[in-house]
Amino acid sequence: MTGKEVLLRALSGQTTTRPAWLPYVGVHGASLIDVTAKEYLQSADLIVQGLTKANELYQPDGLPIVFDLQMEAEVLGCELKWADKTPPSVVSHPMSLMEGPGKALSDLPDFSVEKGRFPIALEALDRIKKQLGEQVALYGLLTGPFTLTLHLMGNDVFMNMYDTPDHVLAVMDYCSEIACDVATAYVEHGADVVAVVDPMTSQISPEHFTQFVTPAVNKLFDHIRSLGSKGSMFVCGDATRNLEVMAETHCDNIAIDEQIPLDKIRDLALPRNKSFGGNLKLTTVLMMGNEMDARQNAINCIDAAGDRGFILAPGCDLPFDVKPENIQAVAQMVHDTYQRDIARTTGSVSETDSFDDIILPDYTNESAVIVDVVTLDSEGCAPCQYMFKATMDARNRLNDDCQVIVREHKITTREGVGMLVKLAVPNLPSICIDGQCKFASIIPDTAVLVEAILDAAKQKQELTS
Amino acid sequence: MPNLNELTEAIKSGNRSTATRITTESLEAGDTPQSILDAMVVGMDEIGERFKRNEVFVPEMLIAARAMKESMAILEPALVKSGYKPLATAVIGTVQGDLHDIGKNLVSMMWKGASFNVVDLGVNVSPEAFVSAIKEHDATLVGLSALLTTTMPSMKATMDAIRSEQLDGVKVLIGGAPVTQSYADQIGADGFASDAASAVDAARKLLA
Repeated sequence: MTGKEVLLRALSGQTTTRPAWLPYVGVHGASLIDVTAKEYLQSADLIVQGLTKANELYQPDGLPIVFDLQMEAEVLGCELKWADKTPPSVVSHPMSLMEGPGKALSDLPDFSVEKGRFPIALEALDRIKKQLGEQVALYGLLTGPFTLTLHLMGNDVFMNMYDTPDHVLAVMDYCSEIACDVATAYVEHGADVVAVVDPMTSQISPEHFTQFVTPAVNKLFDHIRSLGSKGSMFVCGDATRNLEVMAETHCDNIAIDEQIPLDKIRDLALPRNKSFGGNLKLTTVLMMGNEMDARQNAINCIDAAGDRGFILAPGCDLPFDVKPENIQAVAQMVHDTYQRDIARTTGSVSETDSFDDIILPDYTNESAVIVDVVTLDSEGCAPCQYMFKATMDARNRLNDDCQVIVREHKITTREGVGMLVKLAVPNLPSICIDGQCKFASIIPDTAVLVEAILDAAKQKQELTS
Repeated sequence: MPNLNELTEAIKSGNRSTATRITTESLEAGDTPQSILDAMVVGMDEIGERFKRNEVFVPEMLIAARAMKESMAILEPALVKSGYKPLATAVIGTVQGDLHDIGKNLVSMMWKGASFNVVDLGVNVSPEAFVSAIKEHDATLVGLSALLTTTMPSMKATMDAIRSEQLDGVKVLIGGAPVTQSYADQIGADGFASDAASAVDAARKLLA
């Protein structure tokens, strides 16, 4: 089964043998190919290069083409301020009375997907479709009607919801029409899924959502369905209070950010025949954390979500500077059952235990070189078995005058997890020589390993002589 | 005599016509300006608490603040005459490189509602602009806002600029979606607030 098939199965609410995986590579694609967000979002060539690189590094089942919620606004006359590491920001709101000229809908430029940067996005989609379309599900992302309304009206919209609700409804309907046009273009150019990204809805009550957002997005999701495609409702930010009303819309999938427990959205989505996705932590884990944090966060998401109708994804657009190794660590969790087992075992113990009683040997003063092999369990997992065997082979090749002690620490035991923590082992299985992690997850050639042990023995001799 | 509880309720529900009417009537009936202000502050505090509990949202906060602002315009001359002084002067802005203003506006309104004199510097504010505004207005409270992870370093640059000036008694509070208490500790800010209502509590505590 291709990754695309896995994702489409999950999207339609079916069970999958592994989690479907959708890294939202937006401006992060620019960082992968060493260009700025500004350059990237204005060039089909660069977008194709960025996504190609992301595909190589992250083994995704799905990818967004462009993650930029300012494209529609730009065509409609909002001014943009560009930045090197983020998508552009809207800096003028043409329909705002408080801060802008207070234009009417009829004063706005006509919308067309032939204007602004849509031709760039659609060209990138055409090319990526040819390149990866068989293996990877492609997402066309568009600006949700409420967020686009906010771009047009500025903060006026919040008070206008009380003062002039009919006006707000009219603008919402207009924005919904635009979203329908964008959805049509994406589907015609080969997008497998249309994601309606409407982060600003996290700022309003369920009552306002029902009054203003529901009619606009239902019209849009009905349209997406009529195109034979599937629609995802995606709200970055804390949408806790609106989950139920979001689940009542006509979308096929709901994607949520990190503030919301996945089991909560699962229980709302699945009974309504909708799938769901989320919600890896962007800042604290993927950006600032390490690979261990990323794996732990991924397994927590995977286990909380279950195996039906679930797509593993970051809570929102990946930041430009997110660490690629962290995203790769998540990809590893998706594709490798064994890595998932390790994360489950280590996580449950290490969260509640500081292992104060597990004391490492005083390696320098020991007469023998100590080789610690940290494994899941060399009897139950093939990579662990080979790594342990490689270590034993290396020891057997050494002369008797080189004292070597080989110890296996299985993380199925508390002692094993304690050693993993104390030795700061980043990956499993790993080989540590005299307390230093020398080989993480890659099984060394026996000769290389022999060399490393001899080096350690030599250092020991130099210190004692 | 008009009921000041009704004024509190009118502020909470954002009913500006009732709020301004009661303010006018209360002044005419001889209520002290301070007691009228207190009734408004209670209203803003309560709506802030509800915001914190996720019971009301941005639109409800904005209409409450508007009702307060319009009522304050009526009350202010009498307040000034009675010798009223704001709790403190605060300078607030979204840090350099960041153009998001909703969160910053909410904190600004809540601080005003809690009787602070607020100087709002807007968005994309440089460290130098913060420092010169603090000096110019003799501010003792500073609010730094950022929505983007990429602009969080601007908060640190602003903190460093403020600290290097050794401005006595200036307390800095930071907030915004990606910001945490540990980040506040890391950059040496005096406090962190997770939402606009908490920003009022935190400001009162810092200046107590």
